[in-house]
Amino acid sequence: MQTFIQLGATTLQIGAVYVLFSLGLTLIFGVMRIVNFVHGHIFAVAALVVAYLLPILVGGGLAAPAAYVVASACGIAVSLALGAIIYLFGFRYFQRDLVGSFILSIGLVLLLDGVLLHVFGGAVRGVPEIFPGSVNIAGAQITVQRLFLCGVAFLMAGILYWTLGHTKLGRALRAVAYDHEAAMMMGVPYARIAFFGFLIASLLAAIAGALIAPVSIVSPVIGTDYLIKGFIAVIIGGLGSVPGAILGSLFVALVETLGGYYFDSSYAAIAIFALVIVVLLFRPKGMMGRA
Amino acid sequence: MTIFNKCATSAAAILVASFAAAPMVQAEEVIKLGLSTPLSGAAAIWGKGAEFMCETAAEEIREAGGVSVQGETYFFECLSYDNKYNAAEGTKVAQALFNREGVKFIGGSLGTAPVRALQSLAERQGALVFTTAWGASLKGPEHPTTFTQMNTPGEILPELIGYIVEQHPGAESVAMLNPNDATGQETEEIAATVWGEQDVEIVASDYYERGTTEFQPIAARLASFDPDIIDLGATPPADAGAIFKELDVIGWDGVKVVEVGTGADGLKATGGDAAEGVYMGAGVTFNADTATEHQIKVNERAKEAIGESLNAVQIGFYDSLFALKAAMEAADSVDPQAVAEAMPDVTFKTFYGSDIGFYGEERYGRVQQMRLPIIVTQVQNGELVEVGRLTP
Repeated sequence: MQTFIQLGATTLQIGAVYVLFSLGLTLIFGVMRIVNFVHGHIFAVAALVVAYLLPILVGGGLAAPAAYVVASACGIAVSLALGAIIYLFGFRYFQRDLVGSFILSIGLVLLLDGVLLHVFGGAVRGVPEIFPGSVNIAGAQITVQRLFLCGVAFLMAGILYWTLGHTKLGRALRAVAYDHEAAMMMGVPYARIAFFGFLIASLLAAIAGALIAPVSIVSPVIGTDYLIKGFIAVIIGGLGSVPGAILGSLFVALVETLGGYYFDSSYAAIAIFALVIVVLLFRPKGMMGRA
Repeated sequence: MTIFNKCATSAAAILVASFAAAPMVQAEEVIKLGLSTPLSGAAAIWGKGAEFMCETAAEEIREAGGVSVQGETYFFECLSYDNKYNAAEGTKVAQALFNREGVKFIGGSLGTAPVRALQSLAERQGALVFTTAWGASLKGPEHPTTFTQMNTPGEILPELIGYIVEQHPGAESVAMLNPNDATGQETEEIAATVWGEQDVEIVASDYYERGTTEFQPIAARLASFDPDIIDLGATPPADAGAIFKELDVIGWDGVKVVEVGTGADGLKATGGDAAEGVYMGAGVTFNADTATEHQIKVNERAKEAIGESLNAVQIGFYDSLFALKAAMEAADSVDPQAVAEAMPDVTFKTFYGSDIGFYGEERYGRVQQMRLPIIVTQVQNGELVEVGRLTP
């Protein structure tokens, strides 16, 4: 029983970041009908900025939690700026164009791979623990840092869910996702809504990056692994579905946790990809998708 | 004098000066040395340090007058490409180095999977290869132009594991973890044999994919076997630190080993205090009491350039240049085949301070392994401390 509780806690911890990451991916697809491979780099930029700035701020005399807040704010700002630039000068011209946006995002991925390597270097950056110590919850050991990460991730998921359901912006995003032409005819400013949707997705990726920095191995390639898992989660959950993205992320985390514990982490990776194949064969729209 | 005349006169003067200087320019021949190393990802620190050491050795050889072969003086130039520690990128790097850059000598290479790709192309092109890769399949009589520039599991593990067993006589079981690639698989095979010879039971031997970012399930699985020792084999520093950190959270408290462990900084970057007590097989210390002035000076420059102390992986990229110099001068040739034939018999001064040569006939069937000291280190109070040394 103890083992199951620990594995459950591990699933939630791993799944939390996947949730934030995949929410952004599914939002962009839902609103703009494009698959954004650059999402991983927006995530990576936030993590890298935090990893770069945090030691400098702490070395300058700032307390670790305050330094983390400042570094995270900077990381999120840089990621949002990058997201805005990519949208305004790129994706804006390829909305609802799967092939064009695919080619554009691959090109941007190659460009940003080189830029991030050049700016930040290839080596791993260590980020000191911000909230040290661990807690015991129902027999499962969880670090305070990871507990904070889970809390923020699920809070952001909740806020997004509430926003989509109860605000004008959220309703507009949903309307555009359902039928963008009908939405435009009803006076919804599609261009502006698409831009906001892209920014919200970038914000979610940036927050995920800032949260993951103290608990993961931060390097310019960190976005790639999460991108693959994020896409798998979105495909399993259903492209364009927010609840689907959450479910898919937790499912991927569960397979990774159980597979890694009972078999071998290499088999867990194979199992995740096998799962995608099965879902695509029998339910191409995903568990809760509409696309 | 018209402007046209002035220009014409200047151009003629420059042309004459060029011809006059040409003999001096032509006398400086450059031999390009290719490096195939990871410059991104968890093992990037090794690649960056390798690049630094190659350039340091090239500069020192230049200052000492270069390499003299048949009356000509040659200098080395290091060309580094990122192999990302995988075979696909290693293949691209090999093609870039041999086909585009035209190199005939590989000053150093890292990662069994990318080096296999490199070796295959190198042998077809008659190039000489130095490698730090741990795969035993890269060595032997079938690979006459490949030489190893650092100690590998065959040399390190008997010393490292023997020392650990001696220090921890109550430790009876070990759980092993390695990256799921050629390096990890070949390292695991040798480690399993050595642990078995020391009567330590292997309770688990797992693999993980390079690029993994979440190590909690892996750590939970390793801890579930309740081993006395956890041996992370060929796991690079960043990953190893992350794994030990997760083990620490779970509450596992046993003997920690990283066979390819190269330094405290890399482990501490992701592992924090969980790096304490880790035994390593490829670390090098530079204490003022035991290190030479040259070693301390270069190490200080390395810390400024790459952010951490030098280790055995990186030092290999320094030694290979001096080995090449010695072999080229002994063969009186820059032809890779002739240099490869001369290499087993040369001696040269290693970064470790002594004059060394090559050996390995008994273990690999061919003299191709640099005869380097085997150093066992441990992280004690956050610092790397040498606890054992054997000079073969």
